[in-house]
Amino acid sequence: MSSTSPLTLLVLVPLLPLVAALVGVVFGRRLGGWAHLPAVVGIGASAVVSLALLAGTAERVKSAGTGADSAAPVSVEGVTTLWQWATVERAELPAALPPAGTGAFSIPVALRLDPLTATMLAIITCVGLLVAIYSTGYMHGDPGYPRFFVLVSMFVFSMTMLVAASNFLLVYVFWEAVGACSYLLIGFWYTKPEAARAAKKAFLVNRIGDFGLAVATFLLWMTYGTLNFHDVTLGDGTLVPGILGQARLGDAAGYVGGTIGAAICLLLLLAACGKSAQLPLHVWLPDAMEGPTPASALIHAATMVTAGIYLVARCAPMFMACPDALAAVSVVGATTALVAALIGTVQNDLKRVLAYSTISQLGYMFASLGTGTLLGFSAAIFHLVTHAFFKALLFLGAGSVMHSMGGVIDMRRFGGLRRIMPVTAATFLVGSLALAGVAPFAGFFSKDEILAALHGKGWPHAHAETHEAGPAHHAAVEPTVFPGANTAAGARFASFRRADDQGADRSPGTLDRPATWRILFWMSLVSAGLTAFYTFRAVFMTFTGPTRVPDEAGHHAHESPLPMTGPLLVLALASAVSGWWLFATHALSDFLAATPSFAAPAVAATAVPHAFHVDLAVQGSLAAAIGIVVAAFGHLGRRSDGPQMERFLGPLQVLFSQKFFIDQIYAALIVKPLLALAYLAALVDRLVVDGLVDALARVPAGLGAIVRRLQSGLLQRYALAGALGTLLVVLALTWRMRG
Amino acid sequence: MSDLVAGLSPGMILSAAVAAGALGLWLLLPRGQRGRAERVSRWLGAVLGVTALVGLAATGRRLGGLGEEAVFLLVSIVAVVSGAATVVCRSPVYAAIWFALALTGVAGVLLVLGAQFLGVATIVVYAGAILVMFLFVLMLAQPAGLAPYDRVSNEPLLSAVTGAVLLGLLTLAIGRVSAGPPVCCRLPSKAAALSGSEPAELPAAAGDALAADHVARLGAELFGRHLLAVEAAGLLLLVALVGSIAIVSRGTADSAPAGGRAAS
Amino acid sequence: MNPAALLHDALLVGAILFALGLVGILARRNLIVMFLSAELMLQGISVSLVAWSRHHGDWGGQVLVIFVLTVAACEAALALVFVLQAFARTGRLDAAAWQALREANLPRAVDHGLPAVDSLPLTFPRLTPAGVLPETDDELLQREHV
Repeated sequence: MSSTSPLTLLVLVPLLPLVAALVGVVFGRRLGGWAHLPAVVGIGASAVVSLALLAGTAERVKSAGTGADSAAPVSVEGVTTLWQWATVERAELPAALPPAGTGAFSIPVALRLDPLTATMLAIITCVGLLVAIYSTGYMHGDPGYPRFFVLVSMFVFSMTMLVAASNFLLVYVFWEAVGACSYLLIGFWYTKPEAARAAKKAFLVNRIGDFGLAVATFLLWMTYGTLNFHDVTLGDGTLVPGILGQARLGDAAGYVGGTIGAAICLLLLLAACGKSAQLPLHVWLPDAMEGPTPASALIHAATMVTAGIYLVARCAPMFMACPDALAAVSVVGATTALVAALIGTVQNDLKRVLAYSTISQLGYMFASLGTGTLLGFSAAIFHLVTHAFFKALLFLGAGSVMHSMGGVIDMRRFGGLRRIMPVTAATFLVGSLALAGVAPFAGFFSKDEILAALHGKGWPHAHAETHEAGPAHHAAVEPTVFPGANTAAGARFASFRRADDQGADRSPGTLDRPATWRILFWMSLVSAGLTAFYTFRAVFMTFTGPTRVPDEAGHHAHESPLPMTGPLLVLALASAVSGWWLFATHALSDFLAATPSFAAPAVAATAVPHAFHVDLAVQGSLAAAIGIVVAAFGHLGRRSDGPQMERFLGPLQVLFSQKFFIDQIYAALIVKPLLALAYLAALVDRLVVDGLVDALARVPAGLGAIVRRLQSGLLQRYALAGALGTLLVVLALTWRMRG
Repeated sequence: MSDLVAGLSPGMILSAAVAAGALGLWLLLPRGQRGRAERVSRWLGAVLGVTALVGLAATGRRLGGLGEEAVFLLVSIVAVVSGAATVVCRSPVYAAIWFALALTGVAGVLLVLGAQFLGVATIVVYAGAILVMFLFVLMLAQPAGLAPYDRVSNEPLLSAVTGAVLLGLLTLAIGRVSAGPPVCCRLPSKAAALSGSEPAELPAAAGDALAADHVARLGAELFGRHLLAVEAAGLLLLVALVGSIAIVSRGTADSAPAGGRAAS
Repeated sequence: MNPAALLHDALLVGAILFALGLVGILARRNLIVMFLSAELMLQGISVSLVAWSRHHGDWGGQVLVIFVLTVAACEAALALVFVLQAFARTGRLDAAAWQALREANLPRAVDHGLPAVDSLPLTFPRLTPAGVLPETDDELLQREHV
């Protein structure tokens, strides 16, 4: 835990893309067609390092697991502090909780390496590398070629720092940074009005989420007295327990429940909804398809939108103290999954289909996170990993199609492309099978785990026989015990908890009831079927049927070059193999179980032995099969350019194609009133403020006009004025004389 | 004289006099009336003016003997009435004639005060030279008949009030000043230092109107003590002469020969 | 004579003359009458100076009056030259003819409701003719009115 070399490598992971970005900024223009070199080299090196870190961390997990008591949960973490960013001595805190006697507010730039971080780093850098290689082909000839790679490098840097940061304020900083990079990449072709508008919309909607994160940070500081994840030992030996540090994780009463706890969790959920495009803050993601397709693949499929998942997963112990907040997370996730799937069924733009698919899959992940079980958390991360592979694959495939079709992405305008672009078609098919959840592709296993988590909450007795190993996990033993930590923390939070009735124990809240979970389970199942339907509808419309090429394609209508097809093949391999391999070996779930957040007793207590739920697998596959069959019925082969399935929907078709009128509601409730307010403010500024200033300016002019009349040019009037003045002087003198 | 009108304080008399004087002047000044209205206002103005003068005179002092008083009163009345007529007369030529009469009155006052030379010099220089110059200009420039600007005044009420109030204040000041004993009336040091003659005689010479060598003494004073000023005054006269000729000749070159040489 | 009384009365006369002259300058519009009023003011000052001179027994006042006389003469000469120049430009001896220095947005002050030019009812004496009347142009010989 204290070896330095993995932690040095940890610093390299964000550092290399940052250096690549800086080199690209300085030398980009001079490099011209070679501007991809710094980015590819930097991200590639970063990928190598993060894979090495992953291997090293896995090694440590295994060695820690075999050495200690096998019944106790293993927790592996390593923290390196680079420098002290900000310190405020004697910061104000509520009297009830001085953090171990100090009143200082300090923000160290600290990076933490644990299994969750290692997983996310590997995903970010590897997918980033593939996207960078793909972009050398896709963005070839674009005048903004150097700028694109600088932005991609900046993004990789920001995202890696976000998942590695060990302090909530640092997380906030990089949360904003990825939002800024997203804005710049969506609006990459900024001369196009729709792109500029979409970038603005993305940024503004993300701001709402950022507000939630900011207020959550404030509340965290007020509640826990520190913003660090990790524990900090001060110079005089006092311990400042981090929010997600070993001291607090081991404490049964470590986390605040009740109103404050629910507020913090719901605000974090708001932030996650903004970044991960959940209801009702999902409106920016479909519009974000205006950006270049590689950017969409990287940011809006694989990495940035997963920041919300990461945040909730990281704060799992906090959420565990508020069962209602957890249930809210699942409700939001499942609802989003269903609504987005419904909207996706009527989209004609291939990228829009994939965008709604992303929203829907993220909803799945949130639904899984909200179950509050170790299975749920690890299933969400598992799905995150597999989704990164197959969604990036699908987006890059769509980019390949778009590149060949000369920028046309409306599926009604082309068809039968499997004859022109066989590699793209094959990889796209693999990705679609993974997305639809067809065995043995990646999505099948991860979706199965999510359904299992939901099912376990909805029908707890059906899974009762798997819980006999449960009580043993209640022995909360942490690898190291810091003297005095528990008593201080316990006394502190006991005072808080006495104020509220609900504590950290798993008493069910108002939302957290089996009935809720059953509804969510059925919603997820239906969403799975819809996912298969719209995915294969897109596949059939694009790649099957008579070959039609739009006029814009010109001479482009051929298979994409190697830089583009290479990553497609790699991702197709990953989509095909990774799910089966990770599930069969339980590698990922065991690895993730060693994350401090998941090794916390509250979470670890919900652990169940690994099982393959055949009944759920059957249900999932059945839903997928029905979806594929219906899609084939409507769009396969000769029917791919005919009338579409939505004519059967009737009025629902309008509802879905108008995206449930959410954008219109936003416009009416928020945008138009704000515009009216702005217009009013402009009016006030012009009439009142400017009017006041102008009126003030007119006062001297008016006074002058009155005085000006004295200057008539008539000599005798001037003499009269002089005489009157003299008279006044004489009068004054005479007055003084008589006194 | 203030005890003549018993029961009225001098302040009230003075104020009444000032008001009457202002009103009278206003009535007398040309205000664009014609015929009967003009005649009525002029007569009324005259009456009020006389009343004002009487009121002002009431603040004066007894001079001593009846003869002295009568003489002084005569010359001062001539001066004042002619002066008033100068100001209010419609025709500028008549105003010039009245001015000549006023000069005569002023000369008389100066003689009563013992300034023999100055009294005569006033007549000679003013009435003889300056007034004639005015008449020449009038001859050249005055239109036939009364010009419209001769029949109206500029702010008659305000001017009359200003003049009357100023006069009232001056009268007050004069009354205060001359109430006490005469201050520094001898000035022996000055007289002795400069003229070198007997100091005791000078006051008498200045005060005695019929002193034989009055002019000689004045001349001695002038050319003794104020020699530099005399030279400067001569220079000033020369400059004025040259300047007036220069302006006139340039004006003649520019525009129509409306005026020849101004007699100096 | 009572010196104090003489002083007082003489000063009073001087003040009256001064005030009358002031009114004349302020009120009358004919340039010549304005200058006559200025001279009247100077006369008042002369009287006051001589009165003080007699009061103090000092020649200085009378000397000053001589200089006042001198300066008045110069001033009259130059003033009349200017009046003639002014007349040459406007054809009138009106002080209100010169308004060009007024503010740009003020209108020119004009007289309202002036009576028509009125001539004084002057009659010239009729002399009995003696001898033969010369053959002359009546227009040139006689100016009708002044």
